Order: sequence, then structure tokens, then C-alpha cells
Amino acid sequence: MQLTSRLKGNLFLGALVCAMQARAFADEPKPKPENTVSVHLAEPVAPQKFEHAPKFWITEAVDRSGNAQPMLVLKSRGGIFLDRQPTVIVREYLEESLKSGNLLAADSNSADLAIRVYLFHFGLAEGSGLDFFGKVEFTAIVKNPKTGETAEVKASGTSIAKGAARKKNVQKNVQEDLEESLKDAARNFLRGQQLKEAVGLLWKGGDTVPGADAKP
Amino acid sequence: MRIRMTMAMLALLGFAGISAAKDTKAVFKTAEAKHFTGAEGVELSPAFYDYFYAELRSELTKSKLVSEVIGEGEAVDDADAEKSVIITGTVTEYKKGSAVKSALIGFGAGLRSLKMDADVVRRSDKQDLSVFHVHVKVDPRWNEKTMAKFAAQQIAKDMKKEFGEKK
Repeated sequence: MQLTSRLKGNLFLGALVCAMQARAFADEPKPKPENTVSVHLAEPVAPQKFEHAPKFWITEAVDRSGNAQPMLVLKSRGGIFLDRQPTVIVREYLEESLKSGNLLAADSNSADLAIRVYLFHFGLAEGSGLDFFGKVEFTAIVKNPKTGETAEVKASGTSIAKGAARKKNVQKNVQEDLEESLKDAARNFLRGQQLKEAVGLLWKGGDTVPGADAKP
Repeated sequence: MRIRMTMAMLALLGFAGISAAKDTKAVFKTAEAKHFTGAEGVELSPAFYDYFYAELRSELTKSKLVSEVIGEGEAVDDADAEKSVIITGTVTEYKKGSAVKSALIGFGAGLRSLKMDADVVRRSDKQDLSVFHVHVKVDPRWNEKTMAKFAAQQIAKDMKKEFGEKK
């Protein structure tokens, strides 16, 4: 009799755990059209002026965030998702900005300098809880394909957007926050002193002798 | 009575309009806020400094004291350098506080406290324009980043007071 009641208790506990697991799985947000935001900036960032303007080409954008769900921006409130991969968003925006400054090469072969982007953070970071803290952080490796020389350029962008109670407003504020932090990061990269120094180091305005300067 | 109330409301709106117009004057062309550093013994996470950096830039933008708040390491035109500033700073002291002390004693005991010094220098000649000492105290149960928010607000307010009045 005692054994039966113990067994019953164990069965009940097991069922409870299963129910909780199932509920937790059901709570996991899934991307739907109504909880997906499109991060797209209408205005590109005007890059800085270079003495001998090179042509850039973005070879690759690699996700180094270590985030298993890079498209999930906010987990609470039913979740907020991005419509594209963060690497695609960053790459597109950088290309648009370079194009606006006439610094984008037609293809990889005609580029004077190649850029490889390593994205470390894209999305919301932990803030005070009263607002949304958007952060975009990446490192670009600028390479002269002729000489093989490289230089590292770090860029980061931040933005603070006010918190909201209604889901619609949360989504709107998060989207604005992401767009603003992306713009800030792109500006930090394209108008940064580090890029200026990298270009000065790697590109001398077409007077490099191909073949003679290649490093072993 | 109603007429008086309306007049008072109009007067208040008028004052608000004047103060808002006064706020829109930008004193500096650009301001570059750098990541603050922590003095020896200050135990704050790198995320705190990141958040504070973002908050400071946000507050500077809101203050309208600066035409453009630029990111760390961004190039500035030589022509604008004279009217541009760089803000650097150090967190000199951080006390975690005690929730027990705060609850049992009260009267400011056990509060979480943060002290920082912010230097404002002119970009062109690196001349020190002003140094602000900020001291923020918050409830120990609050997130440490709330302190960053208050400290950033305080710096922006002090800068506005200092440079806005000089102008």
C-alpha cells in the first residue's frame, strides 16, 4: 500500500516535470512576421576623405559573437527577431556607405584593399533595465591583396533607446535602437582614425609595385 | 479665477518656450566621449564602462550642448578641432553598499556609491577646460548600471551649467 502511494507520488512528480518542460519549450519564442524587425537604414554614412582614395571590397563578414541564436534580439515579450543574419546587415550597410563615398570597388579583383569583418556583437546588451542598450561591435581586417599586408581596425557603436510597456512600442524602440547603433558603428569605422592609419600604412595611392613587395 | 489660471498657464508655457529655445544653443562642434577607466581597487565590470560610455553619449546628445557627439577614435576636421572637446575620466571609488544596513538603519546608510572624475579637454591644444567630480548614491538593490545612468546625467548637467553659462 505504502509502495503504491510512493509510486503514485513519483509518477505525479514526473508528470509535473514533463508538463513544466513542455511549457518552457512552448514559451521559447519563434520568428513570426509580427515579431520580426527589419534593420535597414535609409541614409548611408559618408566615409572620411582619403588623400589617395583606395577602392575597398568586403570579402566576408564572419559572426564571432558565439551567439547560438544571432537573429533573436529580445527573448522576453514573445521575442523580437531580425529578418536577416547580423553579418548580412552589417555587410550591406558598410557596402552602401562605401558606395556613397565612391570607395567601393566593382569586384574583388579591382579592389585596392580588401576588408574582412569579424562581428563580435550585434543587438541588445545588458543595460539598466530602464531602457534598451543597443551595441554593435566588430573588427575589420584591412588587407592589401598585392602585398599581403594587413591592419586591424576596431569599431563599435552604441545607442540608448527608452523602454516601453506596450509590445508594439518595444518592437519599435528596439528596431530604432539597433539601427542607431549600427549607424554609429559604421560611422566609427568609416570615419575613424584607425582606418585612416590603416589606409596610410597599406595603400600609397597606386605606386606599389606588384610582385616586388609581397611578403614571404 | 479661470482667467487667472489661464494666464498662469500661458505664462508657464511662455517660460518653457524660452528655456527650450535657450537649450538648443550648441557650444561645441563635436564631443568625443572616451571609455572611462577604473582606478586601482575599483571592482566594476567592463560592461559597466560600456554602458556608461553609451549613456554619456546619449545624455550629451540630449543636452544639445554639442552639435555632434562622435564615437571614440573618430577623426575630426582641423577646422572644427578648436571647438571640439574630448571627455575622459576615471572611476575613483565604488562601494557596493549593503542591503541589510540600508533596510535596518536607513538614513543613507548602506547605499551603493560611485565617485568619478571627468575631464573635459579641448581637442586642438589638449587644454583642460574643466574637471567634474561626480558622486552618485543609489539603493544597493538597484542594478549598478543605474548608477551609470545617473552619473552620465550628472556630467551632462554639470557641463551644461559650466559651458552653457559661460557662453
